[in-house]
Amino acid sequence: VTLLELTPVMPALIVAITGVLVLLAQAFTPKGRASPSVPLSLAGLVAAVSVVMSTLSGPRRGMVLAGAVAADDFALFLQLLILGVGLLAVLLAPAYLRAAGLDRGEYYALLLFSLVGMLGLVSTLELISLFVALEIMSVALYAMAGLRRGQIESQESALKYFVTGAFSSAFFLYGVALLYGLSGSTSLAQISRTVASGFASGPMLVLGMGLLLIGFGFKVASVPFHMWAPDVYEGAPTPVTALMAAGVKAAAFGALLRVFAGALASAAHEWQPALAALAVLSMVIGNLGALAQTSLKRMLAYSSIAHAGYVLTAFVARPEAATSAVLFYLVGYAAVNLGGFGAIAALAKGGREPITFSDLSGLGERRPALAAALTVFLISLTGVPISAGFVGKFYLFGAAVNAGYVSLAIVGVLMSVVSAYYYLGVVVAMYMKEPSLQDDWPPLPYGAAVALLAAVAVTLGLGVYPGPLLDFARLAAASLARL
Amino acid sequence: VAALSVRNLLSLLILLPAAGALIIALLPRSADKLGKLLGLTVSAAVFLLSLSLVRDFQPIAEMQFGESVSWLPAYGISYKLGIDGLSLWLVMLTTFLTPLCLLGSWSSIERRVKEFNVFMLLLETGMLGVFCALDLFLFYIFWEAMLIPMYFLIGIWGHDNRIYAAVKFFLYTMFGSVLMLVAFLVLYRVTGTSSFDIQVLTRTTIDPAVQDWLFLACALAFAIKVPMWPFHTWLPDAHVEAPTAGSVILAGVLLKMGGYGFLRLAIPLFPHAAQRFAWLLGALAVIGIIYGALVSLVQPDLKKLVAYSSVSHLGFVMLGIAAFSTTSIVGSVYQMLNHGISTGALFFMVGMLYERRHTRLISEFGGLKGVLPWFSATFLMIVLSSAAVPGFNGFVGEFLILVGSWRFSNELVVLASLGVILAAAYLLWMVQRVLYGEVTNPKNQALPDLSARELLILAPLLALALVMGVASRYFTKTIEPSIAALVQQVEARRPAQRPAGARRAASEDSRGVAEK
Repeated sequence: VTLLELTPVMPALIVAITGVLVLLAQAFTPKGRASPSVPLSLAGLVAAVSVVMSTLSGPRRGMVLAGAVAADDFALFLQLLILGVGLLAVLLAPAYLRAAGLDRGEYYALLLFSLVGMLGLVSTLELISLFVALEIMSVALYAMAGLRRGQIESQESALKYFVTGAFSSAFFLYGVALLYGLSGSTSLAQISRTVASGFASGPMLVLGMGLLLIGFGFKVASVPFHMWAPDVYEGAPTPVTALMAAGVKAAAFGALLRVFAGALASAAHEWQPALAALAVLSMVIGNLGALAQTSLKRMLAYSSIAHAGYVLTAFVARPEAATSAVLFYLVGYAAVNLGGFGAIAALAKGGREPITFSDLSGLGERRPALAAALTVFLISLTGVPISAGFVGKFYLFGAAVNAGYVSLAIVGVLMSVVSAYYYLGVVVAMYMKEPSLQDDWPPLPYGAAVALLAAVAVTLGLGVYPGPLLDFARLAAASLARL
Repeated sequence: VAALSVRNLLSLLILLPAAGALIIALLPRSADKLGKLLGLTVSAAVFLLSLSLVRDFQPIAEMQFGESVSWLPAYGISYKLGIDGLSLWLVMLTTFLTPLCLLGSWSSIERRVKEFNVFMLLLETGMLGVFCALDLFLFYIFWEAMLIPMYFLIGIWGHDNRIYAAVKFFLYTMFGSVLMLVAFLVLYRVTGTSSFDIQVLTRTTIDPAVQDWLFLACALAFAIKVPMWPFHTWLPDAHVEAPTAGSVILAGVLLKMGGYGFLRLAIPLFPHAAQRFAWLLGALAVIGIIYGALVSLVQPDLKKLVAYSSVSHLGFVMLGIAAFSTTSIVGSVYQMLNHGISTGALFFMVGMLYERRHTRLISEFGGLKGVLPWFSATFLMIVLSSAAVPGFNGFVGEFLILVGSWRFSNELVVLASLGVILAAAYLLWMVQRVLYGEVTNPKNQALPDLSARELLILAPLLALALVMGVASRYFTKTIEPSIAALVQQVEARRPAQRPAGARRAASEDSRGVAEK
């Protein structure tokens, strides 16, 4: 195997090696000195980005390694997104970790390892490696959720995430086994051919797909597989929550697209009604749940359930239309979540961070730039122009309407109105309430400022000029169909 | 500058306030005074630039000052602008009122002055965008984006119950808008034109059964914005809680977007459905006229009285639109402008009273005529204009609407005429209690009369109310060609067999407004 043939796994390889280097650097840094985790991680991620970019513009675009890992446009699109999420998650972390007394290399190493899993998840063409990637991502995240060992909430978060994660993995594996039994292969291409030939059909296929769907349902936090999300999001250190909301969701939806909109496209009539039902349930229960929250992170957790629902509405469309709409949405959604959780993390001081809406009272007057950024993210989450969230929802619901599912779109937009109430609740606190007594906000750390600015730029940029990214998303969707 | 900007004048008008807002937002925190000055300068510059629209506008039906840039070709979405007789004066109303509002808030806004100017300018961008957009997607973006600055204006600088009013305003309007968005998406699918171009879409024929649903979805969005009874409940809250400038813009421009939406989108896109539901629109409009007037009659609070009078006045606008004859629609467009001027001025004056006395209760006043002679004279004139007394602008609008709607429904016109009488009743009774009689409240004995700044705000409004009352032909001759073309286009796309009443209404159009 030459180095060039490794192109499809190259980004993941670089990130994995960087993770090991970060751990080693930590071990060899003398006590009392800061280890170079942040620059190392950033360098590794930038290197991975440049590899993806050069693959994208070079002759090895679309290359497949051993029939199992592809560097097609679909994988490259999501890999760029995931690496971007990784970069911002690194930038957001240092000040928060210092404030929480967690300023060690583990965070960065675990972050990089979970990114390895995500990168694999979106590029694999084979169910066993998909499962392995899923586990690499998850195991690193279990540990990250529990990083604040001293805090009972963090421990609860890790334990809950681990138990439900293991539970969902079991469902997923059962699904893989059934599909293997049907097609005699774990290769998505082979499964796709078997399903398309009509040879594999009936209850076994439905059951196999259903079990896979349950596994994915847990990872993307769609109702009724969402119960873990509020507790886990709330208890995990905030930068980790940002990673879960932005990265895990993107990777899991990527894999869901690859398997369902890609390999199982010819059985779409079997799984589309199920996904439509999950979409409605997630939108309704996620939004109603969020209405009742007073904690910022719990509210954002329920909102992420609701957004899983919005994304699922597009799956009723033709696979290509669905894929491009979902891919576009995931980019804006990642930026908004990194920004939103990042803003909360940036306000942390001495292990304390704003917890409830009213903790943000008066932020608009005291910290106008940060409040304005958070407002942009909330507007995008609501889906009001001019923002990535609006254009994204426009495409998602447009895909559903074009497929004849007008009622899904109606549920979606009405639930968006419900969501306006709780997102605006944060804006009300920031701008329309008198400043609270506890308003000794720390100064905005430099890295976080860069990350938030980038997130704002993406959110507004995609709202004004979505064309180029949408074109890329359509190319990615087309490559998915050429399995 | 004028010669340079001719090609992209509309874009310039739309983007200039946003650019100004961005600059003000980046000013240091202590630069309140500079921000205030910059806001006023930018909005005044926008107004001066917009005057060249009036100068160069041709009284023909076609879209003018057009611009078109492909934006999202995959979905047939373009950045397409243009104005015709329907939108020209609404654009002018917007550029005219915004600097007045900023001038009016010069001393009454004391907190977070910089942000106030930012939101006012962003709002202006949104409003101008709505009136100029000729692409559904673009229209929707401006339509929704406008919500945010207005929400902040009410929520930050409003009165005691401002948060409730701001959230209610936002949710209510968004609820209407999102269903309209779904209607746009369905429209895109069923027409198969692969275009969001309004002018392309209004030439397609849509299955009548689908039309009904799409029309209702759009009509809901616009009816909430107007607001038509029974979708008006957000309005009194928003108006009463908003700062003066917010109320003026809300009444002056934002409420016009409902009527504009009906005329630009809902009726031409869905002519068949619009005809089927014309009776419903007409009936709700007349209920609004009577209901708004009756509620105004019993309001103890000046601002609430003016707010409910808007429900009544806009009922006339909607009656004219429902009747759908050239005369009645020209009347409706005219009445939208009148309402912007008269009610805008009334809100300004209520705000001026509030700045002096910190109350808006009618019972707190009385005998102001002797104390504030200039104020009282202006107030009386504006009230007469609002009550549609001949010689003032309001008379022209209501007259055209009532005459133009006669063939549509005699009964509704008779009922609407009751509203004219009721308007005189609640307005003049209010004037009597505020201006006339003895000064009963000692706090009113030594109030300062209008300052030069306040005169500067009110004089142009009053002048326009008079000019539009006597020289109405100057305005209607630019409005009429576009409206006549609209009526013709919509009638042509309606099925041949129509109820007798509608046919008579259509035949009356051929004679047009020229007779009046």
